[in-house]
Amino acid sequence: MAVEALKAIREGEEEGRKLIEEAKGSAAEILKDADNAVKQLKEKAHAEEKDLEVQISDKYAQEGKKEEEAIMRDATAEVEKQKATAESKFSSTVNLVLERILGLR
Amino acid sequence: MGATEIVEKIKEEAASEEARIISEAKEKAKLKLEEAKAQIEVQKKNFIAAEERKGVEERERMVRAARLNARKLKWQSEEGLIAKVLEESMKRITEVKKEGFKGNSYSNILAGLIKDAAMSIIAGSGSTSTSTSRNSELNVMLSDEDADASFVTPDMLNKIADEISTGAGGVDVRLSLSDDRIKSAGGVIVRGKDEKIEVNNTFEQRMARFSTSLREEIVKNMLSRR
Repeated sequence: MAVEALKAIREGEEEGRKLIEEAKGSAAEILKDADNAVKQLKEKAHAEEKDLEVQISDKYAQEGKKEEEAIMRDATAEVEKQKATAESKFSSTVNLVLERILGLR
Repeated sequence: MGATEIVEKIKEEAASEEARIISEAKEKAKLKLEEAKAQIEVQKKNFIAAEERKGVEERERMVRAARLNARKLKWQSEEGLIAKVLEESMKRITEVKKEGFKGNSYSNILAGLIKDAAMSIIAGSGSTSTSTSRNSELNVMLSDEDADASFVTPDMLNKIADEISTGAGGVDVRLSLSDDRIKSAGGVIVRGKDEKIEVNNTFEQRMARFSTSLREEIVKNMLSRR
């Protein structure tokens, strides 16, 4: 009777030890899964950064391009206006230059 | 306590330990993920801020370059207009030789340039020249075209010399036409006979000499929107 009781206790202890060992294994798996999840999150974030880099860079490049076009459009218009103004005063300006190089003033 | 109860107790404790181990692992895993997410979020924010800064800098660089190009465009246009005016002025010299300019014959214009040059030489040299300190013998050089057309005559030079002598406080000025010719669209070079000093009043030289002020005048006159 006592032998059987001891055997039952030993079996109980063995079962408990196994249960704890399995739990430790599961815990290690859970942590490993968490590490993998973290790794995946970081990889995903890295890929997102690449996309963001392109998006942000494109956004400002487009803004810059728009401003650049506006500046050049204004400058071209100003130059055209300048040419028109200059055309009407061309002859009188040539006379001014001639006065000077001919020594008349 | 019986054996059955002891076994039950052992099993209960093992189950409790198992639950604790799993629970702790889950908690740790949750914490790891939360920390990683928080870290990723911070990194993302920093990354975006850095990329935004880079983007703004790039946009500003583009704007600066565009402004520079715009200035270059205006400057090139202005330079083109100035060059056109100067070129046209030189072309008009031929017309001036035939028809004069603003009521002045070309001969009168040359006379003015000769007088101006001679007076500069006298003023600059303290009335020095070849023989004595009170004499100035000066040669007047013309282009082939102007010499052939006799725009400047000995009589005209004598008259100019007299005018200068009278105005220069007793300096005896003598002007003569040199046989040397100059390559020029027009104008004169007046040179002391000792060839130490000369004033180049050719139109090309005058244009070069007055370049800065001429350019300013051209811009002021032609490009101002008055």
